[in-house]
Amino acid sequence: MLHRHIVALRTDAPGAEDLAATRERLRDAFPRNATRRMTQLGLLLGGVLHDLAPTENDTVVYASVYGETRALEDYLTSFPTPSPTLFQTSIHPSGIQQVLIARQQPIRQFFPHTGQRHLLAHAVQSALLSPSPRTLLCGGEERGTWLLEHDAASGDTFAFALALSSDSANALGSLRLEQTTAAESALEAELRLPRFFSALVQREPLSLPAAPGLILTLSWN
Amino acid sequence: MSDPLRAQLKQLIVRTLKLDDLQPEDIGDDDPLIGSGLNLDSIDALELVVTLEKEFGIKISSSEESRAALASVAHLADFVRSRAPADRVA
Amino acid sequence: MPSAPFSPPPIRLTATGCLTALGDAASTHAALLSHQRALQLHPVLGRDGGDSVPLALLPQRSLDETAPPNWLAHLDTLGAQIPAADWGSSRLPVFVTSSNFGVGSLYAFQRTRDPAHLASGTPFASVDRIRQHFGWGANVSILSHACVSAHLGLLLATRTLHAGLADRALVFTFDFVSPFVAGGFHALKILNSGFPAPYAARDTGSIGLGDGAAFAVLEHPDASPSAPNTFLLHAQSLYNEMHHFTANRADGSGFAACLEPVAAAARDQRLWIKGHGTGTLEAGRLEAETLAHLFPAAPLVSWKGSLGHTLGSCGLVELALAVESLRDGRVPGTIGSEPPFFRDNVAAEPFSTAAFDAVLLTSNAFGGAHAATLLNPD
Repeated sequence: MLHRHIVALRTDAPGAEDLAATRERLRDAFPRNATRRMTQLGLLLGGVLHDLAPTENDTVVYASVYGETRALEDYLTSFPTPSPTLFQTSIHPSGIQQVLIARQQPIRQFFPHTGQRHLLAHAVQSALLSPSPRTLLCGGEERGTWLLEHDAASGDTFAFALALSSDSANALGSLRLEQTTAAESALEAELRLPRFFSALVQREPLSLPAAPGLILTLSWN
Repeated sequence: MSDPLRAQLKQLIVRTLKLDDLQPEDIGDDDPLIGSGLNLDSIDALELVVTLEKEFGIKISSSEESRAALASVAHLADFVRSRAPADRVA
Repeated sequence: MPSAPFSPPPIRLTATGCLTALGDAASTHAALLSHQRALQLHPVLGRDGGDSVPLALLPQRSLDETAPPNWLAHLDTLGAQIPAADWGSSRLPVFVTSSNFGVGSLYAFQRTRDPAHLASGTPFASVDRIRQHFGWGANVSILSHACVSAHLGLLLATRTLHAGLADRALVFTFDFVSPFVAGGFHALKILNSGFPAPYAARDTGSIGLGDGAAFAVLEHPDASPSAPNTFLLHAQSLYNEMHHFTANRADGSGFAACLEPVAAAARDQRLWIKGHGTGTLEAGRLEAETLAHLFPAAPLVSWKGSLGHTLGSCGLVELALAVESLRDGRVPGTIGSEPPFFRDNVAAEPFSTAAFDAVLLTSNAFGGAHAATLLNPD
């Protein structure tokens, strides 16, 4: 069984807030002039990571199904004269890179995951396998526009960050991952990112098959 | 006498790069564009190149050529004049 | 042997293979030994034209995407090399890595508005196509970190095995060129009309892009080997500068931060190096200089001057070719490059592996990401 304590948690779900409003709301989380090219997802990730203060010896695990959706949409529509800025920004894991580059903060171990049904379980597994004293598990989505109309983007905008540690001091809760060989409901096993986010916000306990062969337990102190 | 091409380039820089806190006339003709001065970076430079190519019908073939052309507004104006068809330049 | 910080213990590599524009690993290796260049000029936007740029596409594969994707059937030859097993079951996880996934399909949808393309457009949809195509189970993790993606897959698979969560692990990678990615690199002005010359001290830098796919099967070194003639991944190191999206720290410290731990692990071993070497100038110079400093006796090669940069798949494609080199006894040189080089560690011509104990494989990516893997015969 893999296990870590949750020692910090930050979430942000700005609803219908637009990019300009998010930039204004979160500007104190970034160095001056750093936000000009940032996406809404990047800004939110910077906000939730701000006082967790990533360091070089942290492991950062990042999970997003769709990544930089609006940069992707805008890049696609910039053809036949593609925008280099939008190309760069649309590439996973741009959201976290925007934040850490703004801070000029190197990270030794960085694992950006994507996927859908089992994304969260596998990202949690990466986080719990990390030998670092602290692991920052973060993720999020930004609402799409024309890609959303074709079910190729998230319908919600949100971001989260958890700090995970083997040290239980001041723990808010814990994350456990247990392997099971039960004849799994492999096809049904899933834990999607929005569901996990909701559990974080609500401080809701979870214990379920999050991926084939993996039971994820989220508990709160 | 002010150079209309330089003025046009300054407006283009502010508009393309969404420099909301800057007026075009605040950009000096000889201010370094990349690094110090405006503190634009290489991605900003490449974004400007896309706009310049569309606006003036010029071609910039490499990242090294981009950096040289974008040393300053004055440099850029000379570059555009040397490469663009006459009817595309103010 | 001292270990790199956070580097997992050694892991056994029991099988590997790749697919490039020059064929499978053996065919590609033979072609590289004879200095064959896969890169050819193509319009950057495919049927929509544009400037001519060097691309290395699989034979008969168009830059313009079809529905289903035109790269899918090409994967069959690679899939046939993967040792048969119940991949994707609980104890036999699959780690899929890519940088592009199905973005070619998204571009095709944007261009044609044919909704059939959307079925492969997202990362999870493209991977699920592959999963179903090969009949894998659902235990498939997906990682994406640009050009170091494959190294991450290897490292996570290694940790999973050492944690006792798997019996064997399959790492699979794929990246196929499309106008989406070609247009992007062309906009960055590094994919231009010039052909790449890795590590050559030229006035203009140029890259090429190439199709690539590869796999590796890993197992715990204490297990009875499931195959003969295996190898060990002895050290794996990562580092992310987070200095700038497209530039490294000018002092090369990012390269050093990734490579120094591996240098310690490789002490007393005679190495050759498969570098990243895309053909860009500044990064190529920093890479060559740092490698020359840390591994002064190690010849450095890059094969991207022939195959192009296969993006997220490059770490595993080039690992498969390095294994082929070790089995064959000959290492292809740095095709497309001529002196003067940034440093004199660059090997332009093929050489024998006889004088070496191990190979260091390195890759770099946007955001100043670095990865290094030390490979030894088992």
